[in-house]
Amino acid sequence: MRWLDWYGDGSLYVVEVALACCTLEFGAAARSVSLAAAPGPKDRVAVVISGTVTDQLAPAAAAIVDACTQQVSARPTVIAFGACASSGGPYWDSYAVTKGIDQLVAVDVYVPGCPPTPDALAVVLDQLSGRVGG
Amino acid sequence: MSAAHGSIRLIESACTSCMICARECPTWCISIDSHTELVEDLPAGARDRTRNVLDRFAIDWSLCMYCGICVDECPFDALEWDRVPVPASQDLVEEMVAPDPEATPP
Amino acid sequence: MDQIGRSETLRIVLALRRLDRAAEVALWATDLSRDAPSLPTIRGLFAGAAWHEREAAELFGVEFVGGDHRRLLLSPAFVGTPLRKDEVLAARTGLSWPGAKEPGESDAGLGGASSGRRRMVPPGVPDPAVWGDRDPAAPTPEPTAVTDSLVAGRARKRR
Repeated sequence: MRWLDWYGDGSLYVVEVALACCTLEFGAAARSVSLAAAPGPKDRVAVVISGTVTDQLAPAAAAIVDACTQQVSARPTVIAFGACASSGGPYWDSYAVTKGIDQLVAVDVYVPGCPPTPDALAVVLDQLSGRVGG
Repeated sequence: MSAAHGSIRLIESACTSCMICARECPTWCISIDSHTELVEDLPAGARDRTRNVLDRFAIDWSLCMYCGICVDECPFDALEWDRVPVPASQDLVEEMVAPDPEATPP
Repeated sequence: MDQIGRSETLRIVLALRRLDRAAEVALWATDLSRDAPSLPTIRGLFAGAAWHEREAAELFGVEFVGGDHRRLLLSPAFVGTPLRKDEVLAARTGLSWPGAKEPGESDAGLGGASSGRRRMVPPGVPDPAVWGDRDPAAPTPEPTAVTDSLVAGRARKRR
């Protein structure tokens, strides 16, 4: 699992489930973020699901959230990044698309956009880590 | 840094509840409720005339793909692009016009 | 390619390209009946055709005799041939379309839309009289009946 130490100080670990185009915006937001060793209990973890959740891959995305829960013995913050992860987005009517990852996993924050801007993610993570009130 | 296409805004005074934006939206993310009311103060001898009154206009931002078809299709230019992006939240349905809980049905 | 509406056939097109002269493409096409489309496999000649055949098989329901019958993209639990034009998008028929309301109508039923008008049907959903709301005792609709009614707009009367 690729753990990203978002601020470089161990205050927030981010795991991305990179599924489709939104991952490019995630990549822009994570441009200067480096990989880290796995976190332990008491570390804060956010799982960002970026991209279209297909019926085939939805269980794998849920499994990643479970694995994060196991790793830090607490539920990570689940962020649905972009329209597809939030609701199926433009592909909501497809025969192969799950209408949002919240069909399988409880989502804490929905980030709108198709795709959202990298700033949109940065703001959410800043609020989550307490760096910005909100 | 906000994009020029951050979100879509409704100009309520221009909306006639014609439903064209809700019908053209590819992701079915626009919901509209409206009712009809009789127009008052018509000239003497005129037939009854009704007008649409918008009760609820909502966009589900989790479905919106920012294509702008609704902005282009509105015959009354009641929808326009706004620089301000939609913030992340736990519920992305935004009621730009919400039903008035005190309204008495006609 | 599903040619329903023009003829009750599926057209299979084979495009071959030379690796050293990429601008040249040779095309072969054959029409198969929609009822039981079947073709011998060509994966013995072109190994790469195996994946295209698997995709056509699961998405259109074409049988490739001697071919690889495993699914490629769809999950084993999936039922249906999604790329055939008479396959209905279940999500669109299941959810209520915000555009079905008339101007002056709302969920709460305040105020009246003239009930004399036929309902609007969203694009991609067959006429309810043909597919959705039909008499359960009536025979299953013909594929052409389903595709002919996918016209959106006001639901038409059956002729």
